[in-house]
Amino acid sequence: MHYPENMNELREIISSARERGACLVPLSSAAPHIHGGSSNERAETVSFEKMKKIMAINRHDRYVRVEAGVSFAELLPQVKAAGLRLNMPFLPRSGKSVVASALEREGVLLPKYQFDYTDPLLNAGIIYGGGEEMRTGSAAGPIPMEESRADMVSPWGPGTVDYMRFLMGAQGTMGLVGWATLKAEIAPSVSRLFFVEADELEILTSLASELLFRRIPDDCIILNNVSLAAAFTDGGEEESAAAAAAASWTLICRICGYERYGEERLNIYEGYLRDCCREFGARCKNVPGGGETFAEKIDSMLGECDSRETYWKMRRGAVEEILFLAPPSKAAAITKLGIEALKAQSEKDLGIIIQPQVQGRAFRVEFELMHSGDEAVAERVWEAEKSLFAAGAFFDRPYGKLSEFVFSKDSNEVDIMRKMKKLFDPDDILNPGKLCF
Amino acid sequence: MSLAREVYQALEAVVGKRWISEDEFVLAGNRVKTPEVPFTYHSADAIVLPETTEQIQEIVRICNKHGVCFVPLVSGVSAEAFANRPGTVLIQLSRMNKIVEINETDRYAVIEPGVRHVQLYPELRRRGFSYTAAAVGPGGSVLANFTSSSGDHHNQHNASRSNRYLLGAEFVTPEGEIVRTGSLASGAGWFCPDGPGPGLRALMKGYFGNHGQFGIITRIAIALLPCNGPAEIEQEGISPYHKVRMPDPCSKVFVFNYEHIYNVRDAMLKIGEAEIAATVLKYFYLPATLMMTNSADEFWEKWEGGYKEALSMPLVVHLAPRSEAEMEYEEKILLEIVEETGGKRIPREIEQWWDEHMDFFMIVGRLQSVLRLGGGWMPNKLASDSVSHICEVGASVNALLSEFTESGKLFDAPENYQIIPMEYGHFAHIEVLIMWDRTNPAAGRGVGEYRARSRNNDIEKSFHAETPGSLNVSTEQIGPLYCDANVWLRKIKESLDPNNIANPLI
Amino acid sequence: MEKLKKFEYSMDSCNHCGQCKWILPPKMSGWDFAEICPIHRYHRFDAYSGQGLLNISKEVITGKLKIGEGLENVLYSCTMCGACDVNCKNVRDIEVLETIQSLREKCAKEGSAPESLKSLCANVEEKGNIYGFDAEERFVFLPENFSDDETSENLLFLGCSVYTHPEIALAAIKLLKAGGVSFRIFKDESCCGAAVWRGGYADKAEKIIKANVEKLRERGIKRIITPCAECFGAFRAIYPRFVDMDVEVFHISQILASLVEEGKLRFAPMEKPMKVTYHDPCMLGRLSEPWQPWEGEIKPFGRHEPEKKWRRGFDGVYHEPRAVLKAVPGVELCEMPRNYENALCCGYASRKTDPEMSADTAAERMREAASVGAEELVSCCPFCIDALGETGKTVELCVLLAGQLEEGGAK
Repeated sequence: MHYPENMNELREIISSARERGACLVPLSSAAPHIHGGSSNERAETVSFEKMKKIMAINRHDRYVRVEAGVSFAELLPQVKAAGLRLNMPFLPRSGKSVVASALEREGVLLPKYQFDYTDPLLNAGIIYGGGEEMRTGSAAGPIPMEESRADMVSPWGPGTVDYMRFLMGAQGTMGLVGWATLKAEIAPSVSRLFFVEADELEILTSLASELLFRRIPDDCIILNNVSLAAAFTDGGEEESAAAAAAASWTLICRICGYERYGEERLNIYEGYLRDCCREFGARCKNVPGGGETFAEKIDSMLGECDSRETYWKMRRGAVEEILFLAPPSKAAAITKLGIEALKAQSEKDLGIIIQPQVQGRAFRVEFELMHSGDEAVAERVWEAEKSLFAAGAFFDRPYGKLSEFVFSKDSNEVDIMRKMKKLFDPDDILNPGKLCF
Repeated sequence: MSLAREVYQALEAVVGKRWISEDEFVLAGNRVKTPEVPFTYHSADAIVLPETTEQIQEIVRICNKHGVCFVPLVSGVSAEAFANRPGTVLIQLSRMNKIVEINETDRYAVIEPGVRHVQLYPELRRRGFSYTAAAVGPGGSVLANFTSSSGDHHNQHNASRSNRYLLGAEFVTPEGEIVRTGSLASGAGWFCPDGPGPGLRALMKGYFGNHGQFGIITRIAIALLPCNGPAEIEQEGISPYHKVRMPDPCSKVFVFNYEHIYNVRDAMLKIGEAEIAATVLKYFYLPATLMMTNSADEFWEKWEGGYKEALSMPLVVHLAPRSEAEMEYEEKILLEIVEETGGKRIPREIEQWWDEHMDFFMIVGRLQSVLRLGGGWMPNKLASDSVSHICEVGASVNALLSEFTESGKLFDAPENYQIIPMEYGHFAHIEVLIMWDRTNPAAGRGVGEYRARSRNNDIEKSFHAETPGSLNVSTEQIGPLYCDANVWLRKIKESLDPNNIANPLI
Repeated sequence: MEKLKKFEYSMDSCNHCGQCKWILPPKMSGWDFAEICPIHRYHRFDAYSGQGLLNISKEVITGKLKIGEGLENVLYSCTMCGACDVNCKNVRDIEVLETIQSLREKCAKEGSAPESLKSLCANVEEKGNIYGFDAEERFVFLPENFSDDETSENLLFLGCSVYTHPEIALAAIKLLKAGGVSFRIFKDESCCGAAVWRGGYADKAEKIIKANVEKLRERGIKRIITPCAECFGAFRAIYPRFVDMDVEVFHISQILASLVEEGKLRFAPMEKPMKVTYHDPCMLGRLSEPWQPWEGEIKPFGRHEPEKKWRRGFDGVYHEPRAVLKAVPGVELCEMPRNYENALCCGYASRKTDPEMSADTAAERMREAASVGAEELVSCCPFCIDALGETGKTVELCVLLAGQLEEGGAK
């Protein structure tokens, strides 16, 4: 294990590994780790638990800059205190690294602010496998970072390459990210939460896509009854009752008003929301099946991390995930196909989260196969993944066996990726074998 | 210099006799770019006009086999779209001009390089969509706008630069392999640019595009934006006196003038936080006046007759909401913010022009009128960061330019820069536009002096302003200040293009 | 100074923006029908465009390119339709068409114009018409009982197309008579000289023009009325380059529109309703804008001293043909995307010098007409009618109107 405290130390660790022929695997978040680490025998772990600086929280220009070890639980209170909010995943575990979450392109709750798949990640400081340090976007220059008058928030470049994109989804194979800048948004002054229900998932995916295209809601997520109950209750009977009371599918969306004439905005936007729901034949409610108290609880938990003793996805003991992207035209159909492929999984243990992303242009679908050590689940997942791939699911961050399968589909693309890997990690010391290299 | 017969014949065999030429008078159409590029390019040895990705692949392979350089281009409006060394073939992609798909459900359009703004924009608009069209005029290539130019446009306040909207792509590598990126590589369609794993989309474009240095992009999907206006735009009049009016309540334009860029900054940030308005733009006053006039003579009359003062620090705001109630709400907030930040509405007779010419795509299409002044012109700085920092960079422009404008070396317009905020004020892009008299050699030298001063100023003040572009002399000079961007570009270039034949700018 | 060199400022001001090749944004309608330059649409190489010809001109005046070594292929492929000029001038102060014209003049002077143009010139010089028909046969189509008013100050100038389209001349005569307009015809009418001038033979054109104007003066003509777009454009925009024109020039559509408005002409309903589209001939529309002479100096940053009045195609004849068409009951006028100052050329002018391009352009125009549901295309240029008529149904304006003239014509 290595515990760098700053970028210099990170560079030294990489140099040393190169000299020794060792391999390095980054570890940014606290346990539990759902997708596992590297299986490489030469692997040494680089833990970021000592890189926990919150480098900047800027209300004026709406961004945060944090080191890779900073978790959601550590960052969220300070962001809130500054009158900001993060565009973050749905109820992540409290120890999850903010930077790792963004690098993994995890789904976010405020797709309205997601102009690109890379949002909210803006730029980063990296040490490549060859030992070179780079800062991306407007953090790149022109001078030492500490002296820059820039806020260093722009995500593109430097030059004609979008370096950040080589790092995202790379699982530490290209370089080790020591810090990153992320967008933050103004905390709303007022808001209203709505629960939109429909019997057909397709109604909700179409509706969510349209609502976001028109940029009406802030928070926006679709959950099946199992996920809704598991996420917003503390388990046991409460969870079972909530699952039974919930509709098969619920679109949770929040509309917000800001500093100026917030209520007026809410009224106008609620009008748009209700018109849209009518147009799509969905039921728009202020209170979900679980009642008013449940609504309040949901309201308070959205935009938070899960600080409960047991992470909600792990309440049964373990969880296997299937994660993919699908466009609006296919999201519902592919999800249904996934449900069919996973019919061996008990319905009450199959959570499904469908997050509209990038202003409604895509959906990030997550199947959560919650179990208590059932060995058949992994095989079930693998079979389902193959069916989903055939149906058009896009596995943009494949893990394990799936990774090999997905990368085998386009040899020309893989050739170019390998060339890039060779440039950034010439000695192949960073998480080797994790992807297609 | 001309191509070896076997090379010419091989290329001819790919595209057919009609679509290749080495006639001097044909080559003459692609070797001069004036007046903003004062130097002479090399003449291409031949121009080929392929029609398919596969033809491009064959052409590129022939070029590799014989060590012939190639430069891809569409309209030729870019300074990088010319032969910059002997022994070059221009691959002009204007015959690859299909709109492959407009997917209304998934909100993307797939286009080939030859599709022009004036073709795509109306097709999308009638379907309720818009996209990030740059101010290059009707004949600009949409694909080049997304992949090669800076790709900034004027409606970025509630949207973003074209970089954000570039989805799946297909390209031919400098060695002649066809590669697909993002979801396209997995057979999952065009909707996503990144993955699986690391995003090769990184190679398509950084802050700027690479003008074919990493290969020829043959098809891209672009994400579509909502269009709140009518499907068909009503126009009246005959060129150059066209007028375009948007029906109520979907459009209202305001132009305010400010004393100082820092007041503009405050207004931009507040408008962004309130999440109102479609367009917020600190526009350059010289092009603004040019766009509103129909000849250089008329420009001079207006410029000297009060426009220079009336538009000295203009903030253009376009409200394009979806209902009367929202228009009322947005207008109330806008005027409140302007009051707080000290903006003043410009005279109605000037402001009215904007209302009479809105749509924004058409308005900025007239930006080409900067050449009406017949002078040399050059964009400078071209960078983005926070609104605050970019306005700080803007605040330094007057002092920088004044020295050159007062001595007559540059056009006397020391506030001639635009700042375009994007993503509701998360960032802004700056572009300084300098103009000079190209017939005056002293002025020509002044441009070089100004650029050096500007760059030094950025470095001294620690500004993120002039940034590296594609692989060229300028990038080699400033790259070391930007985490060795030049070194990385070279490494990538060498890795993808070992024969250094794909638009080898250096 | 050599005339071509006078346009060096224009050559140096082009930055390859492409506006000369594409429709103006307010006219945009979609992927299709977006191109405006016939030769670029067909050949695709940039040399074949206003921009390309500016570049070529620059290389000619600097001696890099020599006339006689092939550039004539591009130069005389060009139909001289002027769309590039109008579109460029939407955002620039560049004389695109004048530069191309000057290059043609240089080319013609050096004897490098295409043979077809040389013989056209010879026809006009020797026989007074572009086709080479006998001059005496010009008016054989007139009925025996035809009479005009030899005392009239109005001249009906029928143009060379009387040889190939006598029906247009007859229709024009019928309409004017029905409207009570007095006119006379010159039995010794000779070609207006437009084709000679546009071919680059400025000296020859000047002689023709001066002879024609002398005839007008001698015979006391105060007004010219012509049904031919080419002749109309010549009188308005070419003649004043060489002579002072103290004669008013009207296209017949302008006269007819006034007659309709005054109630002096009425039309019977069409046998069955018909959807038509109107094709703006280049020489009636954008190229007929009156000539504006300018001699002066271009100062830094584009100041023209003295101030220059620009010809941008704004003041062409666009509305009157449409107005009279709309006056025919049962005619539904639908507009093509490329219309008014942005109309696509019919391609006729390059019929001999680039026949494939010419035919393809005409076909493209008729495809555009069909795309808006037009059953017939109406125009008022005999050459457009010739070119377009080969690929679709066309009718000349006067012919259509004369066929629908209400019994008695005048009220």
